[in-house]
Amino acid sequence: MEIAAQIGDEVTSGLAYIGELAALGWRAAYFTFVGPFRGRPIRFRSAISQAMQVGVGALPILSLITFFIGLILALQSAYELRKFGALNYVAGAVALSMTRELGPLITAILVIGRSGSAFAAEIGTMRVTEEIDALETMAIDPVDFLVTPKFLAMIVMLPCLTIWANAMGILGGALFGVSAANFTWGRYLQASLDALYLRDITTGLIKSVMFGITITAVGCYEGLATGAGPEEVGRSTTRAVVISIFLVVMVDLVFTALFFFLGNG
Amino acid sequence: MEKLSGEKNGADTKAADVLISVRNLHVRYAQREILHGINLEAHSGETVVILGGSGSGKSTLLRTMVGLEKPSGGEIWIAGKNLAVISAPDLKEIRKKMGMSFQGGALFGSMTVGENVALPLREHTKLEESTIEIMVRLKLEHVGLLGYESYMPSQLSGGMKKRAAVARALAMDPAILFFDEPSAGLDPIIAAGIDNLILQLKKAFHMTIIVVTHELASAFLIADRMILIDKGYVVAAGTPENMRDCTQPRVRQFLDRVAEPEVAGEMDYLQMLTEGTSNTEGTVEDKRGA
Amino acid sequence: MQIVARQLDQATTILDITGDINLTHSPEVRKALLRELRENLTPRVVLNLKGVNYIDSSGIASLVEGLKASRDGGSRLILFGLSPIAYEVLRLSKLVKLFEIYDTEEQALVAPQPVVEPHS
Repeated sequence: MEIAAQIGDEVTSGLAYIGELAALGWRAAYFTFVGPFRGRPIRFRSAISQAMQVGVGALPILSLITFFIGLILALQSAYELRKFGALNYVAGAVALSMTRELGPLITAILVIGRSGSAFAAEIGTMRVTEEIDALETMAIDPVDFLVTPKFLAMIVMLPCLTIWANAMGILGGALFGVSAANFTWGRYLQASLDALYLRDITTGLIKSVMFGITITAVGCYEGLATGAGPEEVGRSTTRAVVISIFLVVMVDLVFTALFFFLGNG
Repeated sequence: MEKLSGEKNGADTKAADVLISVRNLHVRYAQREILHGINLEAHSGETVVILGGSGSGKSTLLRTMVGLEKPSGGEIWIAGKNLAVISAPDLKEIRKKMGMSFQGGALFGSMTVGENVALPLREHTKLEESTIEIMVRLKLEHVGLLGYESYMPSQLSGGMKKRAAVARALAMDPAILFFDEPSAGLDPIIAAGIDNLILQLKKAFHMTIIVVTHELASAFLIADRMILIDKGYVVAAGTPENMRDCTQPRVRQFLDRVAEPEVAGEMDYLQMLTEGTSNTEGTVEDKRGA
Repeated sequence: MQIVARQLDQATTILDITGDINLTHSPEVRKALLRELRENLTPRVVLNLKGVNYIDSSGIASLVEGLKASRDGGSRLILFGLSPIAYEVLRLSKLVKLFEIYDTEEQALVAPQPVVEPHS
């Protein structure tokens, strides 16, 4: 009984948390899509500088990681495919797993580490130093001023990064194909493209947009919810990272299942 | 002693020159009530100092007056609007007429001093960029920081940060200026400079200024009227002269800087030290008897 | 707020301003001033502030922009009829010495051009 009640409480508070995130996302969406028609211009300059940090700043490390992931995927699938003498299916296996799953997921997790945490730390510090209060007393909505540009940057940059990650993963697989499986670069890429349907890429990109929304909502929410005292900033940053990773996996599950049952996958 | 607010209730207190009227204000955080029925009035052009020790609730009062905390009871009338029940658009309009200088300055670290001061103007007005830039320099001139537009807040000293924060609070030519602990964390000379600045602003712009502080010297220098808050209650209210002559023990204690009297008797003290510890067997009285 | 331009002669335009110059109205003052000084190249622009009770800092900033334009173009910007409040605001911004300020229109019109030190 006790445990059931506890689980009930956890579920309720979990749902309440999702509700808060949705409310934050909704307000940011208002400032992005409705605001411009009511005479509040979108903060493009701020959004672009955020996009540079989220996107361009992540490119080197993302390239490196996804290249190696592609290589690892090739090695792992070759281990099994070799038994059937089907090494030429490595290209398709790598391409499919990158675009459908690992590209979006790895990108999201890297962005959580780089930017989700930074959002929480930035906004959390502003909370502690009364800068958020200062915005409010100046009649400037903190969600409009701080959160909306981050949403905009994330929604645009995460799919872009994901496309890049997909490409780097396939390139990593190609390194294996060329050096150990009698592919040429051209033939490997051709084999990869042949294995892919457009929907493999689009489902991955739809997921990455949802990941972007999740990461921004959690990072900003945790930042805004920071309590008093500098040590609270560290705490909310950690919470932002852990909760973001969990929720990204949940969103991934939901959308993958959705695509599967809609026959789209 | 002249009371700032008596038992007047009704709309008659909303006289023309009463800009701020706080009536029977209660504020609670979670379960704990911080303010228990505060009354306060500020007339147009007046400097009102809210005095009190740490934990007295004076900062909470200020935060509630600028709409950062929601009252759990009572009314806050500012320029004819009750902040306790105000709508978001109305609050926004009222806030454009208020400036607030925070304890630590609360300047935005990612913007230059000039951008900080310009922010409310860029957000809320359609003025030309050239006009805004001149206004920023005028504001910085008022606080003695002309020439520091392109500095980052991290390059400024504590006193300069506070001055820059005042310049930002002045950006929209507010009718009311709120100060949270203007001299906290500053050395006496810099603090005196801030006091002077407040006096100048009052004289120059006929602003209504509300200052929260625990610094007595500063309070008596700048105040037209003061209220002393202790543990969430108004202990005394009146002009600085009224305050100086006040014989009420709690007021004297605060003004004469007497340390907290040891209200707890020996027994209570022993109990506080030992109660609930793992080795307490029997009562405190038993132990004393042994 | 209202601005009425009176062209007195070839070289002089008087701008009669009535109402408060605040955040909403100062852009109009700025526009009128800069039009006279930069486009019409009027050698002497006289600002009648008798009907102005209150000038906020955006108004002051607009006057400063006008003054700069007049110095750049070698013309004169003259103020008269300032209310005590408006004068006080100018004084606090340390601008009283920069502007040519007179009490009445007659004084403003007969006053000789002061010798302006370069880059004062």
